[in-house]
Amino acid sequence: MLVVDNLHAGYGLSEVLTGVTLTVKKGTVVALIGANGAGKTTTMRAISGMISPSQGKVLLDGAPVQSLAASRIARLGLAHSPEGRKIFGPLSVEDNLLLGAYRLLPHFFGFRAKAAPDLERIYGLFPRLKERRAQAAGTLSGGEQQMLAIGRALMARPKIMLLDEPSMGLAPVIVQEVFRTILRLKQEGMTMLLVEQFAKTALAVADYAYVMERGRIAVEGAPDELRKNARVLAAYLG
Amino acid sequence: MTLAIIAQLAVSGALIGLVYALIAYGFQLTYATSQSINFGQGELVMVSAFFSLTLINLGLSYWLVVPLGLLFGAALGLFVERAGVRLSLEQKSEGWILLTIILGLFFFSVAENVWGRDDRPFPTPIGSDPFKVLGVDVTPVELSVAVGVFAVMGFIELFKRRTLLGKAVEAVSADRDAAELMGISATSTVMLSYALSGVVAALAGILVSPITTVGPTMASALILKAFSVAVVAGLESGFGVVLIGMFLGALESIASFSLGSGWREVPGLLLLILALAVRPTGVFGKAVIRKV
Amino acid sequence: MLKRLLLIRGAELSMFALLAAVPLGVKNPYVLGLLTLLAIYGVLLIGLDVSVGYLGQVNLAQAAFLGLGAYTAGICVTRLQFGMPASMLAAMAVTLVLGALLALPSLRLQGPQFALATLSFTALTATALNELEWLTGGAQGLSLTRPPMFGHLFAPRDFYWFCMLLLALVWVAMRNLLASQWGRAFEALRDSPIATDAMGIGTYRHKVAGFALGSALGGLAGALYAFNFQYLQPQTYVYELTVILLLGVVLGGRKSLWGAFVGAALVALLPNLLSNRTLFELISGVGFLVSIAAGVRGLMKKTLRPFQAIAPMVATGVLVFGGFLVKNTEDWRKAIFALMLFSVVVGLPEGLMGFASGFLSRLFRIPEAPLPAPSPLDEVLPARPAGKDAPILLELRDVKRYFGGVKAVDGLSMTVRQGHIHGLIGPNGSGKSTLVNVVSGLYTPTAGQILLRGQPLPQGSLFKTARAGVARTFQNLQLFTGLTALENVMAALQGVYRRSRSLPLVLIGLGRAEEKRAQADALALLEFVGLGSEARRPAKDLTYGAQRFLEIARAVARRPEVLILDEPAAGLSHPDLLRQMEIIKSVNQRGVTIVLIEHHMDVVSGLCDVVTVLDGGKVIAEGSPDEVKRHPKVIEAYLGEVEAGPAATPSPAAPATA
Repeated sequence: MLVVDNLHAGYGLSEVLTGVTLTVKKGTVVALIGANGAGKTTTMRAISGMISPSQGKVLLDGAPVQSLAASRIARLGLAHSPEGRKIFGPLSVEDNLLLGAYRLLPHFFGFRAKAAPDLERIYGLFPRLKERRAQAAGTLSGGEQQMLAIGRALMARPKIMLLDEPSMGLAPVIVQEVFRTILRLKQEGMTMLLVEQFAKTALAVADYAYVMERGRIAVEGAPDELRKNARVLAAYLG
Repeated sequence: MTLAIIAQLAVSGALIGLVYALIAYGFQLTYATSQSINFGQGELVMVSAFFSLTLINLGLSYWLVVPLGLLFGAALGLFVERAGVRLSLEQKSEGWILLTIILGLFFFSVAENVWGRDDRPFPTPIGSDPFKVLGVDVTPVELSVAVGVFAVMGFIELFKRRTLLGKAVEAVSADRDAAELMGISATSTVMLSYALSGVVAALAGILVSPITTVGPTMASALILKAFSVAVVAGLESGFGVVLIGMFLGALESIASFSLGSGWREVPGLLLLILALAVRPTGVFGKAVIRKV
Repeated sequence: MLKRLLLIRGAELSMFALLAAVPLGVKNPYVLGLLTLLAIYGVLLIGLDVSVGYLGQVNLAQAAFLGLGAYTAGICVTRLQFGMPASMLAAMAVTLVLGALLALPSLRLQGPQFALATLSFTALTATALNELEWLTGGAQGLSLTRPPMFGHLFAPRDFYWFCMLLLALVWVAMRNLLASQWGRAFEALRDSPIATDAMGIGTYRHKVAGFALGSALGGLAGALYAFNFQYLQPQTYVYELTVILLLGVVLGGRKSLWGAFVGAALVALLPNLLSNRTLFELISGVGFLVSIAAGVRGLMKKTLRPFQAIAPMVATGVLVFGGFLVKNTEDWRKAIFALMLFSVVVGLPEGLMGFASGFLSRLFRIPEAPLPAPSPLDEVLPARPAGKDAPILLELRDVKRYFGGVKAVDGLSMTVRQGHIHGLIGPNGSGKSTLVNVVSGLYTPTAGQILLRGQPLPQGSLFKTARAGVARTFQNLQLFTGLTALENVMAALQGVYRRSRSLPLVLIGLGRAEEKRAQADALALLEFVGLGSEARRPAKDLTYGAQRFLEIARAVARRPEVLILDEPAAGLSHPDLLRQMEIIKSVNQRGVTIVLIEHHMDVVSGLCDVVTVLDGGKVIAEGSPDEVKRHPKVIEAYLGEVEAGPAATPSPAAPATA
């Protein structure tokens, strides 16, 4: 589904990624873990086109997308729920969700009717969003905002979903809830690339994981193998 | 100066003030998507008015000229975006301020040479015989300004709230990066906002010209007041520009009657400097939080 | 050193000598008039360049200050019978005050709003000059005769020399200013206004002072303008002139005395260029060819974006072919000017002199002036005795900071003891960054108190907090990228500059002596962090690691009581990380108390005496690094733990944290 090959990218002069290579197979959940500043978020941003890579390839369904604008990549069916959630604060919850489906809906009229089934599905997944559908998204609590961000990404019926730090700044109870949702999506067959600060939590839901260090992949393997890897154990699972 | 005269001045002034509000609204449209405004917007108003006048002089019906004039305005808006704004936005520089000023200068010179430096009347089928509303004289032309301004602003606000594309525009102004991740192209959105801003400018020209006549100097006269309105009201609230625009129009019409026509501009400028000193983000603007 | 003096000062001297000599050979009064105008515009544009170039603000008010200066001088001469010097001083005083009054509110604005405010000021001035008939003569204009200077009546040639002399004096004064702490402050506040405040330099005060200075130069130019033409009309000082002046600065090249001079020459000579058809065709033709050559080259080498290459070609092309269609080029003056400017602004954003100086510096390698020997470190950063009892230095009492409904910091109390390295950890979004921003003055706390040595710290002002003895670094590097490593440290240096704070003293060149000392001190600090050999390198060209070290050196230059380091190890490679830890340790050993926000647990464990753990805007644990690591709440909220057992078949019930 997604192949990243020798990806280099950075901001201005500092090159953050120095050759990242990873693969996400259809229907699997892949976790990307590592210390803060290792380049996890930058990898996500380079894949989804928010920054343009200086070198390397990104293949989505076999087609190269590394030189496309973020909006083009999104229209191809890659949904990226970014770090910090980035919901549209002044817009209502429902508008946020509708915009998530921008690539599928007519841009002038009749979009509401067409989006209705998907909306219901998301509201089924997150009943609390339904209660607050007319509320400005910026007034939601952190956990609700995270659910909205995931819901918004799901509205695009993506081929693959990139989730960046879904647990950031959330109370442990809420984190559990978020991960329960991620598991449920996994069982429904969603392909996901997950960046997570809590390595243990991430490994619990992933089929395969990559450990990043200083802009490149240091270790990779199935969660069970990583749990046994002494180096990973010492650095991230302490 | 009796109360009746003041009321009369205030009403006709407020109706002209709606034109300032309309031009300022054009700034808001582009500011929302790109944090940039067209400093040559006054020239857009003027050139569109001249273009429409030419069509009318060619014998076209006024009601056909209006949509053609608006289309012309949209085209100019797109030209400004492409030639003056896009590069600076990509480079995250403020070069667009200079470039839009330069484009305005160019339009001005072209208008001066193509259409001449004199003020010319702008014929319209809408009458100018006043009728009384609650003791105040109002002409149909003045009324047409109000109708036109509220119609187009209402239409655009409706478009923003009711269509998905309109919501996409709001999404871009809320968070450009996140909008891109939804598949919304920020560049196209900025283009759309500049086209709309051009439409709004052209409409302002077509509406105000029957009252003020058309001439190259109308550009700077209108733009200064529109700037005042935009800064005083802030660059976010459409409701705010209408309110401030009408207030300013009324104020300057009273000032020019009581102090002399040369002082016409002064209330607006004083209001502006006052607003800057007291509330730099505008009366209806939002405070910004600095981030590191 | 000699070569440097010879080239730079020599070029300036020979230009002024040449210009001064012209009237000896050429007797044509028309040429003399043009040259006088050039000198006046030179002063005017140097003033405008302060705000447009050095402060980086689009200023559309300079024409108004020209007008205000001209009318002030005119009124002083006609009504008050002032002589020339007194009229000029009055013109400068009036514009200085008005400039400051305009700057005080409007410089709080950024970008378009500032341009709008200055534009309105110009319009207001034009109206006032026109309408205040009892004072200015209104639309009739104001006639005056040039008064004698100390009893001597200037002939046109004498007046020209007088204007040139003033231009030279302004030139020297500006050079003094730019070579001082003020010049660095201007550069710094453009690169990072936040860091400028956080280093105790003060963004706002420098902006206001700079703008007022530029306005006063506009007033001086106005007075000269009045004496030159001896007739003033309010219509002269309007929007059009202000735009042309602004574009003159951009065309000549911002942030350059030479650029302002070239711009002045263009503005003064432009009307004449256009009246001569052959000259116009020559200029536009050359422009067209140059833009094609440069554009094609840029496209081939991919140094230019397609638009940057093609747009100037189109603009100059329109100029050339439009020239054949148009009967009278004078009528199209503005369009021609607009097209020329468009090409330059798009194709040569640095202006003509910016381009030329890049070219010349490749041609002549001018050696930098040698640096003095570094000062002894003990003088620059006196080691403070670390008291054994370690009294409380920084105390936070129930600090809160809410953003709308989000409680980023929610009732937080902690104490930092003198001489300690105090760690601050917590998950993303736990409120660490907000807390640092509150303590350092970027945010005003919603509630609560922050005390330094028992005294309340100023709230909500980075600048005042910095002056009170708190220095900080930034998570996402806020260096003054345009300055060299040395200048970055010099800009923040505390306790060296005395005279350099006073603008008049700097202008007459009395700040120079302090520069050597500042260089020596800054160099000592660079060596302290191991960057002694990189002193001359622009901060933006340093490696990422070196940029992080430099930020610490710059903060230490403040001689702070408390140094807040916001993720100083973020993104560092392993060797750089170790070096960074050494630097932090040695700063602490010189008695500087450090608050350290960090994610790397090994950095925290290796350095900190005490660690405070935050979550949800509150303190959840405090103690030595080892204590904190074992604290159950910390493990739960931050370090993370997962239920033991096979995760290959996770159940939706309880997959994550226990």
